[in-house]
Amino acid sequence: MIGVSKMKPYTNVLDRPLSKGKLEVSLSAFAFLFSELVQYNQTQVDNIAELERRLEDAGYAVGARVLELLCHRDKGNRRETRLLGILSFVHSTVWKVLFGKVADSLEKGTEHDDEYMISEKELLVNRFISIPKDMGTFNCGAFVAGIVRGVLDSAGFPAIVTAHFVPMDGQQRPRTTILIKFAEEVLQREARLG
Amino acid sequence: MAAIYSLYIINKSGGLIFYKDYGSSGRMDTNDSLRVASLWHSMHAISQQLSPTTGCQGIELLEADTFDLHCFQSLTGTKFFVVSEPGTQHMDNLLKVIYELYTDYVLKNPFYEMEMPIRCDLFDINLTQAIQKDRVALLGR
Amino acid sequence: MQFFGGSEISPSPPVPTASGNNAHMIYVFNRNGVCLLYREWNRPLHTLNAQQDHKLMFGLLFSLKSLTAKMDPTNLDKGNLGVPQLPGQGCSFHSFRTNTYKLSFMETPSGIKIILVTHPRTGDLRDSLKYIYNLYVEYVAKNPLYTPGTPIRCDLFDTTLDQYVRSIA
Repeated sequence: MIGVSKMKPYTNVLDRPLSKGKLEVSLSAFAFLFSELVQYNQTQVDNIAELERRLEDAGYAVGARVLELLCHRDKGNRRETRLLGILSFVHSTVWKVLFGKVADSLEKGTEHDDEYMISEKELLVNRFISIPKDMGTFNCGAFVAGIVRGVLDSAGFPAIVTAHFVPMDGQQRPRTTILIKFAEEVLQREARLG
Repeated sequence: MAAIYSLYIINKSGGLIFYKDYGSSGRMDTNDSLRVASLWHSMHAISQQLSPTTGCQGIELLEADTFDLHCFQSLTGTKFFVVSEPGTQHMDNLLKVIYELYTDYVLKNPFYEMEMPIRCDLFDINLTQAIQKDRVALLGR
Repeated sequence: MQFFGGSEISPSPPVPTASGNNAHMIYVFNRNGVCLLYREWNRPLHTLNAQQDHKLMFGLLFSLKSLTAKMDPTNLDKGNLGVPQLPGQGCSFHSFRTNTYKLSFMETPSGIKIILVTHPRTGDLRDSLKYIYNLYVEYVAKNPLYTPGTPIRCDLFDTTLDQYVRSIA
């Protein structure tokens, strides 16, 4: 908080800061709002790639703001500068604030060095969503991918972030994997830092 | 033996939006199920007109010779009904559970168009689980 | 003098399932849909005139019967929806319940339909309907002055029926 040491007692109830209150949001309210967001965007596009892009853009704006908020609130106005630092920041701090839990897993891609994956067995935004067969591999997790891209981009780690369904053995529902592919400059900088 | 024979969901204008059979003999084809649904819709409405007192909300339970039909109507006019063995208990609860699944996995799905047939994987999965659970509970009783 | 059969109605009336005056109305239809009898005891709400009301009731029963015949989950060969069923043919129903009333229904082999509308929490009335049918046979069918297919005007039937319905519901 800024200027904590010079706190003066508030005399008027209106001068007092708002209480933090319950840090919970109704899941139904969110589900309906998100459903409307998807439906609205569906009316504005004529192909699935574009819908995905629009959801990602909506998420990007959230991500940029979340980074600002969390750096201020949790990090004492500092931000992560290292690759693994920012990844675990996304995987734990950001996830906890947005979804109330740490993401299920954070892995490094096996084929490429610049790829990382955050996986979630049941992504909160997908909790009530069934994708129609004619929409193929479309995943509403694109919104979350956008959030991740927003956080990374604003923190100085430009990346391409996409959401995919990955079928799992013995499970009826596929899990969602957020695939992060960092820009080359990020990896070069990381190598310089050693 | 199946405790529940089939489940129907009809929209507020009497169109069948969901039908699932759980093992009745002589399964109905699509046309017949659509007609049965709209027939039930009008019977439900007529039963309200014939009420001797005010405030009638339509048939809740129909007891036929070989089955019971339990019907639940939501405030928005969507009707859910299950066909079960005669004398099967706690169907009202099951209908409420199904209604809850409908509000969760159908109405919150951005790809579902209101009043149209329900095609949602998540609804199917959870419905199967709920009915399985109900069956287990019945066996345990 | 001793008559064969006697005047006593053979099966004794079933034990009352409820007490108090919560019977609403009774309808008797013949197989052509003519309303032979309509009585009401407690009916505050009339939405239609009598004739329309009877027509609607008969239509409801007819359609519900074809619905149950079509829906019958234990029968393989159910025929087409809406095909008229002979009395006793196909799966029928014996009652339905709404939040404001319960309707009990019985169809005799000759196609007479007896409908009793009572309080929604009334128990199984199948035996009572059989008993009412018995009254019909005794006092209406055996009455030489009654022409089949016309509205029932038999004082003896009326009073006994009234007494009996008041006793069961």
